[in-house]
Amino acid sequence: MLKSMIYKEWLKIRWFLIGAAVAGLLVIAYMYMNTQRSITFGGASSVWYNIMFLNRMFYKILKYIPLLIGLGIGVAQYFPETVNKRIKLTFHLPILENKALLMMLGFGTASLLATYLLHFVVFWLLSSSYFGYEITNAALITITPWFLAGLAAYFFVALIVLEPIWMYRIFYSFAAIAFVPLYLNSGMAGAYAPINIQLVLLTLLISVSMLFSAYRFRKGEM
Amino acid sequence: MKNISRYNLIFVTIIALSVILPWMFWLSFEKPISSPYVMYSCVDDCFMIRGYENGTSVYSNEFGKTFTREEFEQKLPLLNFRQLMISKTLPDTIKGVEMDPHLVNSAGSFYRYKPEDKNSPKPGLYPMIESKSGRAKLEMPKDFFRIASRMEFIIADGNKLDEQKSVLFTEALQAKGFKFPAKMIEGLPTTRKSCDEGYFVVDNADQLFQVKMVQGQPYVKWIDIPKGLTFKYISCVDFRNKLYYCYLIGHDNSIFIITQDDYELERLPIEGFNSENQELRISSDLFNYNVIMLGENFTKVVALDDNRRKVAEYNQTWTKRALRPEGKAFSFLFPAEINLTDKYNSFINFYFHPTKGFNWLILHIILLISQFIIIRRRKANPKNHVVDFGIVLITGLFGFLAVNIFPNKFFD
Amino acid sequence: MNNVIECNNLTHYYGTKLVYENLNIHVKEGSILGLLGKNGAGKTTTINILNGFLQPRSGECLIYGENTQKLTPHTKGRIGFLIEGHIQYAFMDIHQIEKFYSGFYPNWNNKPYWDLMSKLKVTPSQKISTMSCGQRSQVALGLILAQDPDLLILDDFSMGLDPGYRRLFIDYLRAYAKSENKTIFTTSHIISDMERLIDDVLIMDYNRVLAQCPVKEFMQDFKQFNFTLDKDNIDLSKEKFVSNIEKVKNDVELYTYESEDFVKKFLDDNGVETKNFKKVKMNLEDAFIGLTGKY
Repeated sequence: MLKSMIYKEWLKIRWFLIGAAVAGLLVIAYMYMNTQRSITFGGASSVWYNIMFLNRMFYKILKYIPLLIGLGIGVAQYFPETVNKRIKLTFHLPILENKALLMMLGFGTASLLATYLLHFVVFWLLSSSYFGYEITNAALITITPWFLAGLAAYFFVALIVLEPIWMYRIFYSFAAIAFVPLYLNSGMAGAYAPINIQLVLLTLLISVSMLFSAYRFRKGEM
Repeated sequence: MKNISRYNLIFVTIIALSVILPWMFWLSFEKPISSPYVMYSCVDDCFMIRGYENGTSVYSNEFGKTFTREEFEQKLPLLNFRQLMISKTLPDTIKGVEMDPHLVNSAGSFYRYKPEDKNSPKPGLYPMIESKSGRAKLEMPKDFFRIASRMEFIIADGNKLDEQKSVLFTEALQAKGFKFPAKMIEGLPTTRKSCDEGYFVVDNADQLFQVKMVQGQPYVKWIDIPKGLTFKYISCVDFRNKLYYCYLIGHDNSIFIITQDDYELERLPIEGFNSENQELRISSDLFNYNVIMLGENFTKVVALDDNRRKVAEYNQTWTKRALRPEGKAFSFLFPAEINLTDKYNSFINFYFHPTKGFNWLILHIILLISQFIIIRRRKANPKNHVVDFGIVLITGLFGFLAVNIFPNKFFD
Repeated sequence: MNNVIECNNLTHYYGTKLVYENLNIHVKEGSILGLLGKNGAGKTTTINILNGFLQPRSGECLIYGENTQKLTPHTKGRIGFLIEGHIQYAFMDIHQIEKFYSGFYPNWNNKPYWDLMSKLKVTPSQKISTMSCGQRSQVALGLILAQDPDLLILDDFSMGLDPGYRRLFIDYLRAYAKSENKTIFTTSHIISDMERLIDDVLIMDYNRVLAQCPVKEFMQDFKQFNFTLDKDNIDLSKEKFVSNIEKVKNDVELYTYESEDFVKKFLDDNGVETKNFKKVKMNLEDAFIGLTGKY
């Protein structure tokens, strides 16, 4: 049964997921090509200096990419379920409803994490080859909340898309718009260090949000 | 699961609203609070104050006497040197010293400390600038150093370790009793200074060292500091008069300088400074040091003579934002606010600021009653909503919005 | 014989508007029940309650003895569900959808599915969303047959289908149900189709059940009499024995459960003279309209 559920979810998101993974890698590649160019034209030491003492974030372009990927996968995965209320088909399957939902959520989350991990690791490897670990660590601390923002956005999209009543969809969107920017504040490289753990916990808390709106859908808040 | 899901969403929404709603409030209603500008006058030997009343500047001295702008500027001739020269009101001598522009300039300095300077991420890698290259201008090196389990130089181009240089400097540090790793490394990592004095480094045993590079060779000086003294912050300066290397803030918020060449740790006669929530501005001129401490609702200014002995002190307070009309209005609306940034800290964190007093309880009770009415209108049983009522009572507007955004409409 | 479906005192409101109250339904194993009613009479509400997609205001529904709001996975596996409009995961093609569903049902038998699919003129990778209504219904039917459920709940299986497909559906279904002793609960707009399929009928109107009995019984008991009044001197619509009456000038269509003799006697007793009195033979659609009235 898990295999079948995963199969359905995969059919829905496969093209977007592959596209997103590739797009992210292209952005990272572009970033490093730019960095290489700065090194070639300005010298490596001035690039290092700009990063550490003039707060030049060479990876700024990456900021909203994980967020867009999270939003996209959420829409690709859950929107087809609400067209004609197709999710009734899933609820009718011989499996506990929450189990079915968690399988969907689990697969989407795992796919997202896999894509993010890919990007994170490639970023890390490239940064470590160019820069000392202090610069890389500060960069990783800074990009972590951007990836968490993508996860948070995915969980909120699931919540919002599965909510049957439009007025509440709008309310939940307000809550999302209030919450997601917490991950995306500007600051110096490494400034997010004290809060990253708390952001991870908050992201975990909202991970099962879609069970709330799916319940409302099932009980006929229509 | 659905209940857990709902309460998680409510919790997260309350946090988000505690950030956003107060922010929106201050965005709309915050008014500037201008602090007075206080300077010691070498002409009258008293403090001159430029304050603001109803949007205009008021010039006075500490005894309350008011002045025109021109008169005020004449009381602070070293600060307004150029202006007085233009208006030809500059005296030839002050306190027997001839008013020579070069002399005046070289004696002037300005230093500013904000708590967020101390509370910020450190780069970890620093450029060791050659201090005696024989060239007129300082040059940025091609490598950066760190002081971890040893001192390492990394050549930026290629991200390579310079093993030879690393060993050279590490041994020089060890020879002076340096205990790795470094706890603090502070300097002026720029070539825009008159000369390079390297870095002031605190080791793992709280000893203080100066580390420089002189013609490619390491120069390490152990600095004698009192036993038990540790430093919260060290800030190097490059003043033309070259009287001292840096300002240091001790663990007890005492302020020190280290004099040039003899490396004397000298404590400034300043009491009551709190480096966590006050700004420090130290300006000097030919005759005096002006030490300004700026808090949320007060300023304390200490004037020192040119031997850094205390001469006079001035204190002034004003109403905190929380006690002004907009602050009072805030206290009726919100039980607390959360900021992600803090004016005393460069790190991003959840900075929680509870509102003083209990004015907000009134609104909370009104909201609680409203929530009760909403539940009754829906013909639901209030017993099932006790937790929601508790949330509204404690968190007020944040909770009221959150519990209604995610409605508590469950069967079974 | 047990009741496969049992609804007791079902009451539901949409907001303050009553849908129905104290509705009782029972469907025995092996029978085919058709739920007839005008739009808005509560058919889809009932289907939603049966599938656990709606919590009734009061009352309960049981399927195989379990409350429909809390069906166990095992019981859900015994129920085949066709959604109104043949809604399916249309982003899949016929291979993908069969592969998807087969993973959930241990007794999945894909032979009937592929038999039906071989009659479909579609390319192997054609997405269901690009198929016509009729083709989609075939896919839906094939999936249900492959699942081999004990109970089939079909919400308006004829919607959007042309006569050929409808006939295919009905014939397949009835043969399948009767040979395997399956139970079917179905709704449809096209009553002539229902007539070919169902054993029992449940006719709903706004707020109430008008009839609940075997079709044959209903067709025997419910009658239509046409006659022309000489004088328009009586208001028959308020009489208890009259289920419904349509009057155009002096031409009357009278619908009742009472016998011909009873009606004639009533007219005589009340001094109503009529011409051209005759009993009209109805099919189920005529009877339905007769019972519920034209709009």
